[in-house]
Amino acid sequence: MTAPRSNREFIEACLKSGDAVRIRQEVDWENEAGAIVRRACELEAPAPFMEKIRDYPGFSYFGAPLSTYRRMAISMGMDPASSLPEIGREYLKRTNGDPVKPIEIRKKDAPCKENILKGTGVDLCKLPIPLVHDGDGGRYVGTWHAVITRHPVRGDVNWGMYRQMMFDSRTMSGAVFPFSDLGKALNDYYLPRGETCPFATAIGLSPLAGMAACAPSPIPEEELTGMLAGEPVKLVKCETNDLLVPADAEIILEGEILPDYKVEEGPFGEYTGYRTSPRDFRVTFRVNCITYRNNATMTISNMGVPQDEGQLLRSFSLGLELEKLLRSQGIPVTGVYMHPRSTHHMMIVGVKPTYAGIAMQIAQLAFGSKLGPWFHMVIVVDDQTDIYNWNEVFHALCTRCNPERGIHVFRNTTGTALYPHATPHDRRYNIGSQVLFDCLWPVDWDKVNDVPTLVSFKNVYPKDIQEKVLANWTDYGYPPVR
Amino acid sequence: MNQWEVFVMDLAELAEGKELELTIRTLNPGIHKYTYKRVRARVSAALDRFPDRLQVRMGRGQLSDRKFSIEVLEEIRRLPAKYQ
Repeated sequence: MTAPRSNREFIEACLKSGDAVRIRQEVDWENEAGAIVRRACELEAPAPFMEKIRDYPGFSYFGAPLSTYRRMAISMGMDPASSLPEIGREYLKRTNGDPVKPIEIRKKDAPCKENILKGTGVDLCKLPIPLVHDGDGGRYVGTWHAVITRHPVRGDVNWGMYRQMMFDSRTMSGAVFPFSDLGKALNDYYLPRGETCPFATAIGLSPLAGMAACAPSPIPEEELTGMLAGEPVKLVKCETNDLLVPADAEIILEGEILPDYKVEEGPFGEYTGYRTSPRDFRVTFRVNCITYRNNATMTISNMGVPQDEGQLLRSFSLGLELEKLLRSQGIPVTGVYMHPRSTHHMMIVGVKPTYAGIAMQIAQLAFGSKLGPWFHMVIVVDDQTDIYNWNEVFHALCTRCNPERGIHVFRNTTGTALYPHATPHDRRYNIGSQVLFDCLWPVDWDKVNDVPTLVSFKNVYPKDIQEKVLANWTDYGYPPVR
Repeated sequence: MNQWEVFVMDLAELAEGKELELTIRTLNPGIHKYTYKRVRARVSAALDRFPDRLQVRMGRGQLSDRKFSIEVLEEIRRLPAKYQ
């Protein structure tokens, strides 16, 4: 099974496997489409492919593209029944290889150029931009997309998933945090010079391009997409600037970020499951050109309580990138996992506790990294604990973490405006705090006499007894264990 | 009659009897619903005082049960000339 190359191939694959449903009746862009996506997320139901949208003939919606591990497996060309560790191993295998450079194709061969709106024809309202949640500050253009920019000095290209709200027919406003790649470029370069920053927003990406845009990887996203797909991603030049965009994207918005002019953005239903960040004056995107495919499909991610791709995919890629980071520093980790229901706020690390202070070293590396603002809890367990089994992790947390010596609070770190637990002041200034739960037995405890023995079936019985009990389990009268 | 909506942190921001600068969005049906304008306007809790209606949402999107009438006096162009 090969990875779907485009959003359209992905939808077909999901329909075929039963991981998407085709909705033929008309749905309303105002709340109804969002409500369908939200309910599908909360039920972990198939993704809705909505073929008919009120006021927008010829357009369709595809919601919750990657909000289940099954659809994530499909996006990678794997068996939909693949387990999370299997998908994780495949992700690490593909992304540890050589970068796959993109190729540029001619405009006449790019599907995203089938319709072009320029000048007075530019009107965002010609696109079926949904009101995702009732009470949102606006209709959100970008919920599952990539904002493409190029660093003005280094030249490297960034695809980031910065949310974008339609303010008026030509203007969008978005949440770009100052510690993000784009936030740094705006503050360090464009704002002091009073120059505008060219951007392109690509909507309806291939699922792997979406995964790359969401991943906090140091590899350029256009190359990361190629690594995940096993072939180069096809790019095409924009109409009004020199940026390159995915040629098979459904919709492209081209324009400029105005660094010294801000308009209101938010509130918005966020990945934490709340509307937390305040309505505020945020980064302004001025749209100069819109291009789109015939019968374009707009993708919608509806963030709220788990689980949607904001939690599932971000937890997945953030956890794996943190695992890479720890391994690069020689830490003997057995794995890193972020449960989607933690809204990627809790990093669970399994490690072989070979020396003192290893949990603290892990927390310092993780919190101190570029990824640190996105989570605030680290739980470190030993290599005998299954990090994917919450029952085991919870037991370790409640029994091995010493309240006095095992809990370490990091103060005055970097946070985001999206943290529900943060004070209004801290949200406004991206001030964070973080905590380590060290669930390792201290290395200076005598392993025979001081370290408690775990009393479990697999730990306290001789192997021959375990095998006998397992072999006779159904004969005892129990149903088989899956 | 046009329908408008505004976000405020506090209803006191909608002071009656003076001209206000507000960022309001249209609730009129059609594809431009929810697009914003910055305006100079007057508002009143008396619904028959001014020609248009104004609905209010609070900081996190909660709909207020208070309704106002509004008169849009002028649209304010905030976009700097160099970007127009």
